[in-house]
Amino acid sequence: MSADTQNPGPAFKPDDTPKEIYGPDGKPQFFDDPGMDRYVAVVMNMAQEMWVQEERLMALEGLEASAADREAKLKEFIDRIFAPLREQGSDDI
Amino acid sequence: MGVILQHLMKPELTAEEAARGRFVSGIRAFILNDLAGDLRTAYDKRAAPAFARDKGRPPETSNEAHQALRGDPAFNIYSAMRVQAQKMVWHASGDVVARDIERLEAEAVKVANQPGSVKLNPDLDIPRNVDAIEVHLMPGSYTRGGESLEAGAVYDQGLAVFSMGLMGANLDDIGLSMAAYVKGKFPDFKPQSILDTGCTIGHNTLPWKQTYPDAKVEAIDAAAGGLRYASARAKMQGQDVNFAQMSADALDYPDDSFDLVFSSMFLHELSKKARAAAFEEAYRVLKPGGLLLHMELPPNDQMNAFDGFYLDWDSWYNSEPFYKGYRDESPPALCEAGGFGPDDYFQFVVPSIGIYGEEAVAQAIADEGANAVDSETTGRLAEGIMWFGFGAWKR
Repeated sequence: MSADTQNPGPAFKPDDTPKEIYGPDGKPQFFDDPGMDRYVAVVMNMAQEMWVQEERLMALEGLEASAADREAKLKEFIDRIFAPLREQGSDDI
Repeated sequence: MGVILQHLMKPELTAEEAARGRFVSGIRAFILNDLAGDLRTAYDKRAAPAFARDKGRPPETSNEAHQALRGDPAFNIYSAMRVQAQKMVWHASGDVVARDIERLEAEAVKVANQPGSVKLNPDLDIPRNVDAIEVHLMPGSYTRGGESLEAGAVYDQGLAVFSMGLMGANLDDIGLSMAAYVKGKFPDFKPQSILDTGCTIGHNTLPWKQTYPDAKVEAIDAAAGGLRYASARAKMQGQDVNFAQMSADALDYPDDSFDLVFSSMFLHELSKKARAAAFEEAYRVLKPGGLLLHMELPPNDQMNAFDGFYLDWDSWYNSEPFYKGYRDESPPALCEAGGFGPDDYFQFVVPSIGIYGEEAVAQAIADEGANAVDSETTGRLAEGIMWFGFGAWKR
C-alpha cells in the first residue's frame, strides 16, 4: 500500500498507482480539463432534477405508472439525454 | 429498479426523494450496462490495439489494461459518471436518514426485547480500514454517527439504491444464493453454529438463519452503529441473531467454536496483513469438519486483463484501496496460509437465486463445469450477475 506524500491522491491506494490519475485536489481526474469532470457531475445532477419534475408531471397529469412502466420511462429518459455519450451515438447530437 | 426495504426502518420517502433514488438506480444501470459495454468496445477497438502497437503485445494484466484505457473517451465518461453516480447514492440516502433518524431509533426501541442481541465493545481499536477511509465514497464511512443507527441506515438505504434491484428486496441475494449452494452441495452438512464476519448490517447474515433455523448464528463487525442497526433489522424480521463488535483478525471466541465461518464482500476491505490474520482466526475458531466460506470478487489470476481491471477500477476511483491487493492474491493460497489443507479448498460460481431461481442454483451445483469464472459476469453487478464463492473444510 502506497502512502507517497508526493502524490496528492488518497492516503490509501494500491501499489504502483499511476501518479497522473488524481488531480491537484487529490480526487480522481479523468479529463484533461478538470472542469470537465465537474461538468459531468453538473449534467447528471440536472438530469436527476429533470426526472424529479418528470415524475411530478406524471402525478399531476394523473399518469401514475406502475413500477415497471415508470422504470421503462426512466430508461427511455436516460437513454435519450445521454445518447450522445454512446460509442455509436456521437454523431446523433 | 431500486428496492423497498423489508423492515420498519425502511425510509418513509417523499415523492421527490423516491424519484431521486429511482434516478440514481437508473443512471447506475445505464453506466454499468450501457457505458460498460462501450468501454469494452473502446478497449477492443482502440485501447488494446494501441497498447499492442507500442509494446508489441496486448495488455496482459489489470494494470496494463488500466494503462491502455486511461485517456480514452469511453473510459473518461464511464469513470466520471460512475464516480458521480456513487456520490449521488449517498446523497440520496444520507439526506433521508438525517431527516428520519429519530423515527428509526424509535422503531428500533420497539423490538429491543425480541430474540437476538447486540454486544458492543467501546474499547475496540477501530481498524483504519473501517473509519479512516470513506469506503466506496460513503461519507463518514462505517463509523458515521458513532453508536447511532445513522451509518447502518445510510448503508441500508444506499445499498437499496446502489444495487438496482440485483441484490434482492432484503439486500440478501448474496447470502441466499450462497446458503442455497451450500445446502444443496453439502446436504449432510448441518451447521449448528455459524459466524458471519464483517457483517455490516447483517443483510447477508439472515439467510443463514433462514436456511439453518436451528443453528446459533453470530455476526461480527468492527463498527458499532452498523451492528445496532443490524440487530434491530434482524429482530424486525423475526430473526434471532447475536451481533458483536469485534475485528475479524482478532476474534473473541474460543478455538473450535463454529461449524461455519462466512463473509460476503468483506475480504477486499481488509489490508493484506489483516486479511491473512482473518484467515488464521477463521481456522482457529472453526471446529474440525467445519467450513470456511467467502463470497467475494473473483481473483485476477482467473480473469482476463480487461475484466480484471474492470473490477479493480474501484481500487483507484471508488475509495476501495484494498480491492486490487485482495484480487491479486490467490484464494487457495489465502486458505492454505490460514492453516487449511490445500486439498480442502474449493470454489464455485453460483447464479443469483433471486434472478435465476432455485433451479439455476441446483444446476450450478450439479455441473462442475459451471464453476469456472466467467470474466464478463462473475462478480459484476450488472445484468447476468453471478456470485463467486470459495472456501475450505477444516480437516
